Amino acid sequence: MSGNLLHRPSIFRRPDGIGGALPALILIILFFVVPVVALLLRSVTEPVPGLQNYATLFGDGTYARVFFNTFLVATVVTAVTVIVAFPVAWMLAIMPPTLGSIVFGIIILSMWTNLLTRTYAWMVLLQRTGVINRTLMDIGLISQPLPLINNLTGVTIGMVYIMLPFMILPLVGTLRAIDPMTLRAAALCGASPLEAFRRILLPLSLPGIAAGGLMVFVMSLGYFVTPTLLGGTSNMMLAAMIAQMIQSLLNWGLGSAAAFILLVVTMALYALQLRLVGAKRMTGGI
Amino acid sequence: MKLILTGILAGLLAATAAHADEMVFTSWGGTTQEAQTKSWAAPFEASSGIKVLQDGPTDYGKLKAMVEGGSVAWDVVDVEMDFAIKAAKDGLLEPIDFNVVPKADLDPRFTTDHAVGSFYYSFVLAWNKGAVSGEPTGWADMFDQTKFPGKRTFYKWSAPGIIEIALLADGVPADKLYPLDLDRAFKKLDTIKSEIVWWDSGAQSQQLIASGEAAFGQLWNGRVFALEQDGADVGVSWNQNMTAADVLVIPKGSKNKASAMKFLAAATSPKSQAMFAEASGYAPINTAAKAEMPADVVKSLPDAYVDGQINLDMNYWAENRDKIAERWYAWQAK
Repeated sequence: MSGNLLHRPSIFRRPDGIGGALPALILIILFFVVPVVALLLRSVTEPVPGLQNYATLFGDGTYARVFFNTFLVATVVTAVTVIVAFPVAWMLAIMPPTLGSIVFGIIILSMWTNLLTRTYAWMVLLQRTGVINRTLMDIGLISQPLPLINNLTGVTIGMVYIMLPFMILPLVGTLRAIDPMTLRAAALCGASPLEAFRRILLPLSLPGIAAGGLMVFVMSLGYFVTPTLLGGTSNMMLAAMIAQMIQSLLNWGLGSAAAFILLVVTMALYALQLRLVGAKRMTGGI
Repeated sequence: MKLILTGILAGLLAATAAHADEMVFTSWGGTTQEAQTKSWAAPFEASSGIKVLQDGPTDYGKLKAMVEGGSVAWDVVDVEMDFAIKAAKDGLLEPIDFNVVPKADLDPRFTTDHAVGSFYYSFVLAWNKGAVSGEPTGWADMFDQTKFPGKRTFYKWSAPGIIEIALLADGVPADKLYPLDLDRAFKKLDTIKSEIVWWDSGAQSQQLIASGEAAFGQLWNGRVFALEQDGADVGVSWNQNMTAADVLVIPKGSKNKASAMKFLAAATSPKSQAMFAEASGYAPINTAAKAEMPADVVKSLPDAYVDGQINLDMNYWAENRDKIAERWYAWQAK
């Protein structure tokens, strides 16, 4: 087998240096590393050299609130996504392959639809005069429209929907790898379905939940469009605050500092994810 | 380093920069920019042979990055007047060459050394007749939740208007508004904060009122005018309407400065201003424009409602823009 490989044209061989990655590397250095370094420098040089931008961000109650909001939204979104995604992933894992690939296709297709379009669709559904409130009022379930938009509820609904595929995909991989016999064995030993879920399925699927959960959490931290359109001003998240600082207040120093903090937190979480789940599992599981 | 970053940024932004015999006009998009294209750019192209490329929306962060990075892709930009005054102070704008741009008929309220008026408008109180029982008669009614329940919509960004509205509603006389008592304004706004839906674009303000998602709100008069034209069931009160203006500026370092000046001259001419006013419902900043307009259009403009009209103080705002904005966004996020 290995002998065969050696005789193949070099293009099929595993690259042994970083030569093959050079174009990507140059791209990343030019369009990611350089701007990020410049961002960091701006955050400590504008308007005057020093750490005052960071001091402002950490010392001011308003910004603390925005940081808190950001983590709150990311946590709630991640938790709800796990709960909604798990049954779907389990169903996909045990479905016959043909049916499974159709459901899979539907999930992937929703990922490909434009983010803005999907978010506007939620606005139409959730607003006070929207489809959901109208229907509920028409059938007499409620007399006043429910506040489903411009608040945490709206952000959560919109973002969970967008994040679902990122949770389902790694979870399906993990769940497929679980031997169904273990569940049968649990049942034979007298475990109730709930107990089998709690003591067998859940622990075995933890790596998938951790991988998907961290990915959803990290993506949620930097989200801009959905929280802006479906949330209220009191749910402002970091990304929206950065945009405001740079576009409306023209305060590049403060905006850069906030962006850099977001970047550091994201990187730290990503490093944690690599440690917990292992790089191979994370990339291979999807 | 700062220069390098802004240079890179501006370089990317400038990818659309215009060549010779071309210039870039940047405005806010939507029906307003469509009207500007039709009323100003098209006739100007025909008479001067200079092609006007449209870009947008206006973004103050981008404008600043372009000027600082020395790579300016925009030649004429439609901005809010308080920003223009501040930007001129910060050295971001070219002075206007009034040898090219005739100044005589321009409304002095909206003309500075670094900006000429684009159009001016009033904030008016508009409501959805199906969602409001009775008829609101002034800003104070927006704060009266027993008489007028329902969501109210206001402009989301820190800008002249809503602070003044809150103060008027709280009983401050119109001639005692400035300097703004921010504490008092925010205290008043706190009383209805949970009922406020923010609009961040003119199109959104129209959608909110037309659908009844918000019962009433603070709208630009041109947007209400467009709603009425579309047959929407809206009411409007001009009581204490507040004028503010958009102005046209040339960012410092514009590569097509000469063309840009000519464009300003054309855009502010009586005829162009009259055409734009007719298409948009906003008022002309050229005092000779009225003679070019049909009488019924003149009647629908802010000029027809000068009784009790309040001119928002752009110089005060330019001076205090950053300070107010900081408090505004902190209050919103609370």
